[in-house]
Order: sequence, then structure tokens, then C-alpha cells
Amino acid sequence: MTVELDQINAIPAFSSLLPETRLAISRRAFIRTLPIGNTLILEGAPAEYGYFILDGEVRALRMNPEGRIQVLARFSVGDPLNIISLLSKDQVNRATLETLSPVTLLALSAVDFSQLTSIYADFSSLLLQFFAERLTKITNLAADLSLYAVRARLARFLIELADLTPSPSGWTQDEIAAHIGSVRDVVGRLLRDFEAAGLIQRQRGQIILLDRQKLMAAAQDQDT
Amino acid sequence: MTETTLPIINPLLCTRCSLCVTYCPEDALRMTDQGPAFNHPVTCTYCLDCEGLCPTGAIRAPLTVIWKDQSSNHN
Repeated sequence: MTVELDQINAIPAFSSLLPETRLAISRRAFIRTLPIGNTLILEGAPAEYGYFILDGEVRALRMNPEGRIQVLARFSVGDPLNIISLLSKDQVNRATLETLSPVTLLALSAVDFSQLTSIYADFSSLLLQFFAERLTKITNLAADLSLYAVRARLARFLIELADLTPSPSGWTQDEIAAHIGSVRDVVGRLLRDFEAAGLIQRQRGQIILLDRQKLMAAAQDQDT
Repeated sequence: MTETTLPIINPLLCTRCSLCVTYCPEDALRMTDQGPAFNHPVTCTYCLDCEGLCPTGAIRAPLTVIWKDQSSNHN
């Protein structure tokens, strides 16, 4: 079953592709839908498909043997999923992908993905741009983890979230903790500390940032 | 977010262990065949205890992070 060109055109990054490339994708791709809370891809399993998000939100995470998770990234409309795994030599999934909302995905098999990258230079070039963005984000995350204390990482992340368009599925305390390399209890305690210091106010379902200057100061704490 | 915003329960992940019902400080939850349900939604204070207690991640209490000057637009 081919995918309608309208659905291909719904992915903003595909607007830079040539019409014949978009047509080739539509002939190879299929639509996959998943409900909230589902595992799309399991870390360590063979990489069989690559995806582009048409609707919804997905998070990438890795888990250590004790069950502690590190959220590597969150993805939303237009973002590609699992492309690094597909283009790697061993073709093994590098991370687990979980749905944070009902999602609709444009799916490509590993074989079709490989053919598209071999034949269509503009598709390969687009993937390189995605790689560059991912590499920048991961580098920033690694720097944050090694250079800043948990308190500073939380302050930096709160500022980052507040400066972005709010995520439709929000962030739980567990997800915030996983993203900054900490645990739920520590995040809860730090949020209480921030509130007592007048940096934030917590309301039902909201963390309201009150003082950018004080939060920026907290975000520079390098006492790891 | 409004005063009626409630934690989100995914019945597919719920094992009916009833920890959330037992330890809800406001007695806002009851267990049903379909999983926990809000008995008294207005008494839920969004304290996040149920989310922290749930062993399977079936309860999500998401938070939105905003600047103070945005809060009037979200209430």
C-alpha cells in the first residue's frame, strides 16, 4: 500500500526534496499508528524500520541493568526515528522508543530506506542535516551531565522547557529526572527548594517560573 | 491546565494493585474493573503521589513549564 503524497508533504523537512524523491518515498512507505504508552522499538533488537512522525510524540531512552532510565531525546511531528540504527553497520536499535501520545508514523523498511539513501542524493543530504542536529543535542547533553550539578541541570532544563512551545503531552517528574540524569525524589526535593527560594511556583499541572535571573544563576552552578 | 486537570490513567498498563487507591491522601480514587477511576475528582490536589507509587507507570501526571507572564494565558 502506498502513502498519499499529501501525507509525505505533511513532513516539513520533506519540502526540500525533489518531487521524484517524494514520489519514491510514497511508493515505499506505509502508515503505522500506535496508542499512548507503547514501545515502538526496543534497544538491542534488529533495526527493521525507520520512521518519520506524522502526528504525536515519542521519547528515546536507554535503561541500565538496575532499570534506571536515561531519556536521550523527545521527538515530535516531522522528526525521523531510528535512522542512526538503520545506517549503522550492525543495524541494531540504539535506543528504546516509547510513545508519549497516540502517534501516526510514516514507516520505511530497512531495505527501502537503504535504497532511498543510495538512489536519491537529496534524501541522503536531508538525513545528514538530521544527524548534525542530533549530534549537537547529544553533545550538549553530555556536556551538561559532566559539567553541571543536578540543581543546575534542572534549572537549565526548566528554562529550556519554558522557552519552547509547551509539549502537548507535558513532562512528568520521572521524565524530567530521566532527562537530566537524576531520579524522581531528587527532582521533587529540588523543585520544593526552588519554590521556597521564590524561583518557581507550583500549581496544578504547572511549574511557573518566576525569576529568570535567579534561575539563570542556579543554572550556572558547576559544583557537580 | 485548569482546576479540573487530573492525572492520566492508562488502564492497559494498570495491574489493579490498588496502591494508588490505598495511598491517595485525598481519597479521590476508587478501583473499578477498568482500573482506577476518580471517585471525587474535585478533591484531587495533583500531589503526584499516585504517579510516584504506580509500579507500572500506568498513571501520568504531566507538568507544563511556563514563565509567569504566560500563566494567565494557560489558566
